[in-house]
Formats: sequence, C-alpha cells, structure tokens
Amino acid sequence: MLEVQQVSKIYEGNVTYRALTNIDLTIADGEFVGIMGPSGSGKTTLLNMIATVDAPTTGSILIGGKDIGKLDNHELAVFRRRELGFVFQDFNLLNTLTVEENIVLPLTLDGTRISEMKQKSREIAGKLGISSIMKKRTYEISGGQAQRTAIARAMIHSPKLLLADEPTGNLDSGAARDVMDLLETINRQQATTMMLVTHDALAASYCHRVVFIKDGRFYTEIHRGDNRQSFFQKIMDTLSLLGGYNHDVPPVRIP
Amino acid sequence: MTFRQFAFRNVTRNARLYTAYFLSSMFTVMVFFTFSIFAYHPLLSGERIQSSAALALAVSKWVIYIFSFFFVLYSMSAFLQSRKREFGLMMMHGMTVRQLRRMIFLENMIVGSGATLSGIGLGLIFAKGILLAGENVLALNEPLQFYLPFKAIVLTLFSFLLLFVLISLFISSVLRSGKLITLIKADRQPKPEPKASLLLSLLVVSLLGVSYFLSLRASGLNVVLLLVPVVIMVTIGTYLLFTQLSVYLIHKLKAREGLYWRRTNMLLFSDLSHRMKDNARAFFLVAIISTVSFSAIGALYGFQSMINGALTQKNPYLFTYQSADGDSNAQAHIQLIDESLGRAGISAEKTGLELNYYKAVDGRTMVLVKQSDYNRLAALMELKSIRLAAGKAAIVDFGLSRKGEELLNQPVELQPGVVIEADQAVVSWAIRGVSGYYVVPDEWIGTLGQPLKVSRYYAWHGATGQPGVKKAGEKLTNELPYDEQYTFYALEYLTSKTNEGFGPVMFIGFFVGIVFFVSAGSFLYFRLYSDLDEDKHKFKAISKLGLSDKELGRILNRQLSLLFFAPIVVALVHGAVALTALSHMFQYSIFRESLLVLGLFFFIQVIYFFIVRLFYTRQIRSALAG
Repeated sequence: MLEVQQVSKIYEGNVTYRALTNIDLTIADGEFVGIMGPSGSGKTTLLNMIATVDAPTTGSILIGGKDIGKLDNHELAVFRRRELGFVFQDFNLLNTLTVEENIVLPLTLDGTRISEMKQKSREIAGKLGISSIMKKRTYEISGGQAQRTAIARAMIHSPKLLLADEPTGNLDSGAARDVMDLLETINRQQATTMMLVTHDALAASYCHRVVFIKDGRFYTEIHRGDNRQSFFQKIMDTLSLLGGYNHDVPPVRIP
Repeated sequence: MTFRQFAFRNVTRNARLYTAYFLSSMFTVMVFFTFSIFAYHPLLSGERIQSSAALALAVSKWVIYIFSFFFVLYSMSAFLQSRKREFGLMMMHGMTVRQLRRMIFLENMIVGSGATLSGIGLGLIFAKGILLAGENVLALNEPLQFYLPFKAIVLTLFSFLLLFVLISLFISSVLRSGKLITLIKADRQPKPEPKASLLLSLLVVSLLGVSYFLSLRASGLNVVLLLVPVVIMVTIGTYLLFTQLSVYLIHKLKAREGLYWRRTNMLLFSDLSHRMKDNARAFFLVAIISTVSFSAIGALYGFQSMINGALTQKNPYLFTYQSADGDSNAQAHIQLIDESLGRAGISAEKTGLELNYYKAVDGRTMVLVKQSDYNRLAALMELKSIRLAAGKAAIVDFGLSRKGEELLNQPVELQPGVVIEADQAVVSWAIRGVSGYYVVPDEWIGTLGQPLKVSRYYAWHGATGQPGVKKAGEKLTNELPYDEQYTFYALEYLTSKTNEGFGPVMFIGFFVGIVFFVSAGSFLYFRLYSDLDEDKHKFKAISKLGLSDKELGRILNRQLSLLFFAPIVVALVHGAVALTALSHMFQYSIFRESLLVLGLFFFIQVIYFFIVRLFYTRQIRSALAG
C-alpha cells in the first residue's frame, strides 16, 4: 500500500536542518501502523510528506504503486481527495461550515451528487454516533465530537490510506479511548490502511505495529502480539530506552 | 452541499469579516447610483439647464468608480492573505488550484453582486428624498419629479458587476497557491519587520517639513503651482512616515528598557513592531484617503462660506456700474438703475468716482484714483481710509492677485519727469473688480494732463438682503447685457447665481468625501479583524500568565486607539495645512469652517472607535472566558 524509500528531508533556511535521514517504511494493505518518537524526531515531517503536503528532498514515496512525487498539483489534489484521509490533533474543521457540511467536503470538492452525499454522510454519522449534531456549527460541539467529525470527514470517501496526526492530543482520556476504538473498528471492518503519529503510548497500543524514529533516523519497530496490554508495556519500555520519556514512565518491569 | 453552496456559506457565515467591506461597497454603489439618477434625470440631462452640473456628476461618478476599483482590489487581496490557512486546509482535503480559484471567484461575486443590488435598492428607496435634497442644493426652479431611473439602474448594475467580475478574475488568476505546507503554517509564521533606516526616517521629517513650510508660506496663486510637488512630497513623506520613521521610533523605544519593560508597554510595543508591515500599508492608505476627504469637504465648505461671506459682507455694493470713455448710454443706464431701485423700494446710496488711465513711458497702462475719491468710498464701506506720505502713492488691489506687492516700491515713470512710486500696498474691496490701481493725491491728476481714457465707476451701497434686490438685479442684468462699453454688476443676483452653480459641486464633493471616509473606516475595520484570531490566541496565552481584566482593557484600548487615531491624526494635520494654504490663497480665513469640518470628522472617528472597541473587547473577553 505505502512504500517509503530512502527518504531524506533537509530544510534549507537561515539554519539548515536535517529532519529525516534515509527512512524506509512499508505499510501493507489494511495494516494499522503507529509512528512514535520524541519531540523533534521527524514524525510529523514524515507524515506531511506521505500526506503530499511536503515533498522529500531525496527518495520517493509510493502510495498504491503511484509515485506521488511525479504527480502535478492538480493530480495531487485529486489524489488527496480520493485516496487519502486526514485527522489532525486540532481537528481543523472549517468554522464556516456545519458538522455535516464539514463531513461531506471531500465529496463536494469531487462534485458528487447531493443524494449520494446525503446518504453517505448519514451512514457514516450513524456509525460514528454523531447523527444528533449534524446541523451544529463547529463551535457548538465538544472536542470528542469534533474529532469524530474529523474522522467522519476523513472516512466518507473511503480512502485507501488514512493519516492521523496526534488524533488524541487534544482529548481527555475517555474521548481519546473512544476515538482509538473507533479507528480500530474502522480498520478492522473496512480494512482501511492507517498510519498514526502519536506521543501517546495508549493510542499507539491500538496499532498492529509501531515504528520508532529518533533524530530523523529509523530506531526500531515492535509488533503487537495478541495482547494489547503487553504491547502497551513494550511500547513504554521502548520509549524509556529511547530516552525521551523516561521521566514519565514507571520503573520498567520485564515480565 | 454543492460547491456553489460551499462558497456561499463561506461568505454568509463569515459575516463578521465581510460586514464592513460589504457595507462600504454598498455605500459606494449607492452614491454612484444616486449620481446616475441625477445625471439621467430628464430635467437635467437635456440641453436645458445645469448641463455643467450633469457633467460634473458624470465625471465624479467615474472618479468614484475608479476609486472603488482600487478599494475592492485592495480589500480582496487582504482578505485572501488572512485566509491562507483555511485555503491550505481545503487543499489538503483535495481542493485543486482551479477549484480554489473558482471558489474565490464565486465568493467575490456573491459579495459583489450583493453589494451592487442592495446599493441600488437603497438608492431607490432614498431616491425621492435625495431628489428633493438635490432640488435644493442644485437650486432648481422646477421640482425634480421622481422617475423610474431605468437607465441609471442598468448602468450601475452593469458597471459594478463588471468591476467585480474583473477584479475577481484578476485576483483569482494571480493567486499563487505556493507550497501547501507554507499555507498551512501561514499564521504561525511571523512576518519580518520592515527595516528602518535612519536616512529615510530623516527624509520623512524633511519631506513633510518642506511641504508644510511651502504650503504655509505660499500665498496667492503660488498655491496652485505648488500643489502638485507638495502633494507628491506629502504622499511619499506619509508613506515613509509609517514604513520608516514609525518603525525607527519603535525600535528606539524598545531599546530603552526602562520604558519598554514597564508593565504592559512590552506587549504593546512588541505587538506594534510585529504587525508593522501590515499596519504601515493600511495606515498609509487610510491617512491619504482621509486627507483627500478632509481637504475636499473642508475646501468646499470654505468656498461656500467665502462666496456668501466675502462677497456679501466685504463687498456690500448692491450694484456697480462702470462705463468706459465713450459710453454714450451711461446717463440713460444710470437713470434706469436709479429708477428700478426706486420702483422696487430699495434704499441705496449712490456714489461714484473716476478711474484715470495713463500710458506710462515704458508702455504700461496705469490706473490712477484720487485719494479723496477713494476715501469717500472707503468711508461708505467702513474700510480704512488711505493716508499718503508726501510725494508717494498707494497701490491697491482687490485680493486674489498679488499685483500690489509686486508693484510696491517700484518707481514708474509715468511721463517724462513724473515718477510715481507706491510706498504702501493695500488690499481693499473699495472698488469692485479693479486691481492694481494707484491712489494718488488729488492735485496730481490735474497736473498730469489728459489721461488716456477716463472710466466712470458708480456704486450703489445699501444693506444686503432687502426684498426685491435680487429680482431687480436680474431684471437689470437682462436689460443691460454684456457690452464692451460698460459693466454692470448686481451683487445679490450674481451671488445667488454662483451659489446655484456651486451647489452641485458642494453636493458632489460632499458625497465623494464621505465615500472616501467610509472606505477608510472599512480599511481600519478590516485591518483590525484580520488580527482578531491572532489576538485571541495571544491574550489567551498571556492571561494564563496572569493578566487582569483591567490590564487587558488598557492594552486593547491603546492598541485600538493607535490603529484608529494614528492615521487620522496625520490626515487631520495634512488637512489643516492644506486648508490653511487654501485660505492664504484666497486671503480669506476659513479657520472656523476648517475647524468645524475637521472636528466633525474627528468626532465621527471617536464614535466609530468606541463602537469598534466595544465589539472587539467583547470578542477577546469571550475568547478568554471560553
């Protein structure tokens, strides 16, 4: 589904900064992958490049076999609205639109028929439990509801790849758990490939596999077995080894 | 939701941002439409009367049109700047550049056609009232009937729709989307401060200083000559004032930590320098537009009062009649005037004198008046009488021209051996319409021999405002049409004629001035609201550090007053200088009028400030509470 080949990113500017160095990453169809790493490790840069928002300095990225570096602006836009879905930490809903209008935005841009938009939005809202707030404006809903709306927007066009940047970052623990449960369900039921960037070990423990990067380089990756609880513990251990989080990690106990 | 609905909702739900822009566009359209109603009125558009007024209306209509072109262009590009992040977000969800352009085009057209239609609608609603008012200011004798201004509607509709289409097309085609990542991060990137150079800052002082000095020193028709260079210098000076000098001063202030680090000063100054680039442009525009508006309205009001004041109060001859040498009808005409006055029951005192024309040795024609004659007229008008030094003359002019000063202390050889030199220059209205004549001792006239020609000047002096004076004047003016042999002048009749001619200019100037002022307000409003989100963010962060409600109020108050009053104060000073120069030009003080106009504008600005402050502070407070 996704192939990242030898990608490096260098920011030229007043201070030249090497954000990523020779990253390789492959995500299979239907896989749910988490990217973790300390602040400034290049997680978001990687995500932005996969999201076609930013371009790598060297290396190439293939999504569904297509080299996204070779698409022009127009093709990229169409590609984004048909094949990609985005969920952000601060939701990024458009304030001028209602919840429902925000959800159908990708379809609107694609010129879908109204009846189809209505039907799809009703369907997805039912699944995500936001049918009751469809007519509300973005400032009238809670953070959890906003993130559900954002997920609905990212999902309505059935994208091949769903990208999430700290989707639980602005949510309380209950809402965060709901959102992750939701993503996992979508991944399982619709076999949508997902990539998640997060700081939150609990959120990462919903993934099949977690890739760690540090200072822009691949560090390690761990796979989830059958048990989410032990996977969570493994993630915590790796984080403490990474050195970025030992202050908030309880003493390591290896079972 | 279709794409069109999407664009529509972007506009209607962003009402806060678009309100001021929409209202001032609407107002502009309304004024344009109103002018068209007049210009196409069957009574005015014909060959009959006031065709000059109709022409003036038509011309200023297009001036407004051109102005609104730039106004819309600037506002639109500023709107787009503030929405970069939103665009980035939409593009992330797969909006193509073409769709973005289409969206911007649609949005602009929605606002534009809304403003055009409601401007026309409002114009129609007020049309009858405006026509009534126009009837008075244009001093028409026939009532302006209300008519369905079909032509005006079509013209306004098409010209403004065309304007909005052109600008929307232009804006959306030049829109560079740039890199998506920069769009998304747009509002987090601080804009670099403009660099301030000491040299350019000093240039501001010298440019404005020289301009002011020249304007205040200039007198007479020099003002007209200086107009273009001074306008250019002031414009450049004002631009540099906001882009260079103010930045330079803020840097200097920031360097003084004793001041900069005191309480909330730091927030205010850092904020100022952070936004200087955006502010400078808006300040410059607002200052220049307001200056134009203040000067135009002040000047018009000044003219108005000058015509009514100067001419009637300082020149209280009801009628004058001046005959050339060979005017055989003079006696008959004088009799006719006397009889007409008697019949109309007008009380007036007749007086007269002789203007003696001589040819000087160098070929110049000189006009000599006996001292006793002059003083008799001066006494009648309660002007100062002239006392001559032994062997000297006085040179008198009527105002406007500076002939008197030019000829002062210049000996002129009138005849071989006879030299006349004026040692005093007097500006006086004693003899109407004659400038640069010499007042000489009575006995000189006899010794000079036969003059080239003698012109007899008669004046009827009496109280103004007597019933029937205007009518008698009109009748006499018709009976004594223009002729080379004589000139007849009926003050009240001609003043009322001038007022009629001036009415439309006043009317037009007033509206154009108001259009400018309203758009300046819209610029300010927009400048403020494009920073609202950033301010909310900033004050949220600061309030976490502990900022009392009172302190917040104080910071906002200073920030807003600076935004509202810095450009306006500059404009007021510019305007005051311009009006002073104007009053020098006409030798007539329009101080009271200038003060009234400038004060009124300032007052309106203060009210506007309080209203905007109320809403802005409320917005910020609610953001802090939420």
